[in-house]
This record gives sequence, C-alpha cells and structure tokens, in this order.
Amino acid sequence: MQDQLLTYLGEALVHGSLTDEVLLAETETHPVLPILPNANVIKIGGQSLIDRGRAAVFPLLDELVGNLAHHQMIIGTGAGTRARHAYSVGLDLGMPTGVLSILGTFVSMQNARMLHYLLAKHGIPFVEPVQFPQLPFYLEERRAVIFFGMPPYVFWQPNPAVGRIPPNRTDTGTYLVSEVFGARSMIYVKDEDGLYTADPKKDPKAKFIPHITVEELEALDLADVVVEHSVLALMKHAQHRRSIQVINGLKPGTLSLALNGEHVGTIITV
Amino acid sequence: MTESQEHPMDDHRYHVWSPLMRESLLDKQVMASTETPVVRMLPTCHVIKVGGRSILDGGKATTYPLVEAISAALIANKLIIGIGGGIRSRHVFSIGIDLGLPTGVLAQLAIADALGNAHMLGTLLAPYGVVAIPPEIFGHLLPLFMQAAPGVIFNGDPPFSLWEHPPGLGRIPPHRSDAGSYLLAECFGCATMTLIKDVDGLYDRDPKEHPNAHFIDEITVTELRERNLPTLPFDRTLLDLLAHARLVTSVQIINGLEPDRLEGALRGERVGTIVRKDEASS
Repeated sequence: MQDQLLTYLGEALVHGSLTDEVLLAETETHPVLPILPNANVIKIGGQSLIDRGRAAVFPLLDELVGNLAHHQMIIGTGAGTRARHAYSVGLDLGMPTGVLSILGTFVSMQNARMLHYLLAKHGIPFVEPVQFPQLPFYLEERRAVIFFGMPPYVFWQPNPAVGRIPPNRTDTGTYLVSEVFGARSMIYVKDEDGLYTADPKKDPKAKFIPHITVEELEALDLADVVVEHSVLALMKHAQHRRSIQVINGLKPGTLSLALNGEHVGTIITV
Repeated sequence: MTESQEHPMDDHRYHVWSPLMRESLLDKQVMASTETPVVRMLPTCHVIKVGGRSILDGGKATTYPLVEAISAALIANKLIIGIGGGIRSRHVFSIGIDLGLPTGVLAQLAIADALGNAHMLGTLLAPYGVVAIPPEIFGHLLPLFMQAAPGVIFNGDPPFSLWEHPPGLGRIPPHRSDAGSYLLAECFGCATMTLIKDVDGLYDRDPKEHPNAHFIDEITVTELRERNLPTLPFDRTLLDLLAHARLVTSVQIINGLEPDRLEGALRGERVGTIVRKDEASS
C-alpha cells in the first residue's frame, strides 16, 4: 500500500522490523536537535553532600544562587544513607529490585524537597517528572529547577547483573536528563576531587585520575568507580552528552569553575 | 559493625546504621553481598503481551478471535495484559526522527499509542470484567486489582519516557512494550510471561523467504544471541533483561492468530518458542 502521507522512513518503520539493524541505521540520518542547549545538569550527591547537613549544603547552595545570573541549572539530588538503610532492610525482607527502586526514589525526593525549601526564596521550583513540560519556562524565568535524581522506572527498574540494588540510580537519572535535553554540561557534585584508582576514603594510596575515557576506565576494571556503571554504558550510546565531570562540592568555588567549563575534577569522556 | 564501634559523625556524614552504610554501591564485592532471595508478589497471575501491530492493528479479523480466547482463559486464570502502540508508534517515531527529536522523547510519545490500544482492548474485554488501568496508579494498585478483577490491561511500555536509554544503533527506544511487560512480570514474580504475536515463534531464517526454515522450539539467551538472527519478533532488549532474570526465567512467543494456543501457554506447555535464561548463569 503506497501511502502518500508516509515519509520513506515512515513506510520503512510501519512495515519493517524494529529489530532489523539496517532499518535501525536509517533512523540515524538526521542529527538529534538539542532541546535545552544552555542548561547545565548538576547532580548533588546524597551520601557525599546532603547527608553532611548544613556544613556542606549551605555553602554549596550559596554557590548555586551565585551562579543564577550566569547559568541555567537543572539540579538533581542523590539519595544517600537512608536509601542504603532502606535497601538493607528491603534486601533482608526479600524485596525485588523494582521495589528497591521505589524506596530509592522516595529518599532522593526527600533530598530534593529539602534543597527546594532552602532555595524557595529565590523562586526555584521542585519539579516531578510529570511537571517536566514546565521545565523550559522555569529555566527561562528562574534559571534553575530541582528534581529528584532517580529515573522514574519504579517497578520497571531492570535487575542488575549482580545483586539486587537498582542499577539505574540518581547518577543515571540525572545523566539521562542531560542527554535527552542535549544540555550544555553534566556535573556530578561529590565529596572527592573526582575519580581515584581506589576509594580514597578507604585506601590512602589511591591515585587521582584527572581525565579518562570510558574505554580506559572499563579496561582498568576498578572495584569501585565514582559514578554508576550504567552512566558509563549509556555514554557510549549518547547523541549529545559525551563527557561528564565529577567535582568536589566541599571545595568552595569548584562548582562555579565547572559551570564555566573549566576542568576542576575528573572528566570522563567517550 | 555497630554504632558504638564507629561514631556516625566520624566522616562528617550523618549516617543511619545499615550494612550498606558508608559502602559504595558501585563496589563489586558490596553488590555481590546483596544477592538475596526475592519474594513473589503475584505468583499466580500471568502476564500476556498482545502485539499492537501484529494483532490489534489487524482489526476485527485478528483481534476478535483472540479476545474470545482471552475471555475463555479468564475463567481459570488471572491475567495482566500488556499491549504496545503498534503502527501508530512506528509512525510517530518516523515523524519524531524526521524532526530531530531524541530517543527519550520518542519513548514518551509512544506511550500514548499504547494507552489508546489498551483502551480499545479494554473496551472489548469489559464484558468479562477486564479494564484498562491508568499508568499512574497501575503498579501500586496492581495487587488490589488482581484480587478484585479477573484481569487488567496496561500499556506495555515501561515508564522510562524521557529517561529511556539511548540505543546503541539508531534512535528507536530500546525498552518497548515487550520489555516493559516482561519487567513487570519479573518484578511481581508472575507465573508465566507470554508474547502474543502473528508468527508461530522463532525460526532459524525468515520463513516468509525460506520455505525450509527450521522452527526453534526452545532456545537459551546465549544460543539466540550467537545465532545473530537479522530480526526477532520481540524487542532485542528483552534478551538482556532475561539474562538477568531472578523470578521469571523464560518467555514464550506464541501465535495469536491461533488463539487456542493461549491456554496451553498459560498452563506452561510449549505451544510456541520458549526463550530461557541460560542455566549456568542462574
């Protein structure tokens, strides 16, 4: 049936198989347009930052506010120690990964709400996934929004290869926001200068790595990595966000430099 | 480790004591320690996924006989019925791609087509007490619905939406309604997972082009990957998900144009192609 309303690709997709690699390759002919090319996505660590309370959070929020005049910021929150507690109890009770994902979402939502109230006087809203259509307006008007970092997979969270902990957590949820919107940067604010050869909190001989590719990082096969593995896997398929930076949010001024595009932590690229 | 051994303020982070406290959830050994048994929330319910393009888009001719078979199966079985967006999703993908929209947006758009199909199938199954449930409440209230009704219908797509993973090749969202229906079955620990398509199952070659193509009764994820078939009658991502299965370790693909096969599939009989998780990796 020749239908004049269908484009060539439309014809191929309507009649072909979505598992056919020849057809899938044809879906790549046009570049993907960046939706929010001026926005920066910032993830604020749960265990690394927010669980430290005001000593760590207040200076970081001051710095965020100081950047409102210069940068648009989509700010996602991590979960942290309460998620670890919920995961521990949940594992003991036999909860599946999808239920653990819901528990993690609740904790990152608590953290988002707390940061939101602290930033409310600057007119910065907290947006849940259903409110994302308003996000461009808020960025234009107020320059920043807060969201919870967990991807909204809930019961549909895929199992990890090993163990039960949801493989797509807040690093992944924030990364995917930066990728889908074609954002200007993806900055992870943690409590270490970036990536080390081992966990610097446990191994004093751990060496700092200022720049590394995903391929090199996978070859190193470190027992512990500073960002979720699924972020690295997704970066290899990215249309837009092919670099991320991990910075130390306990060092004042670091976030501002990172927002200005400077290399102040570990940059991971593909 | 107890609280008295290590003061929670030692590293200036206010911890709640737990075995995972202060551990990196990115550490391989820590992850291995979380390999614990999982409860089954809905062990007597079955998940079936009805093809959008392969069944519903064919109209009355392909849909009515299957509706009749489903209504018969509902007498003895609790069914959770997923359905995809079919041809309209393919169309919106083609327009979205032409306009330069990313995979996450395509995934968000496709959910609307699956919802429309869920409502159509829900209308046909309403006389048997089966209704389409809005996605906002579907997951959380599922145990209640399964107590109260013989079956429910949902849009098979997972709620990944803007958070869909960019695929390795092309722009099409990799987690579509086969993957979403499977993920739901796995999380709720359902009895069986059946994909209802318009083919008998898997062949070693396309039977439409090769009359002597061999039918595959049963195959493992690794064997199927090794065959590197040019096309599959289900989302390729399903193989990755099945490889990590804990509760639902196989799926069966059956021909919905032979609707009598449904009851056999629900009894666990092989009436199509069964794809299993590898024995060794379980």
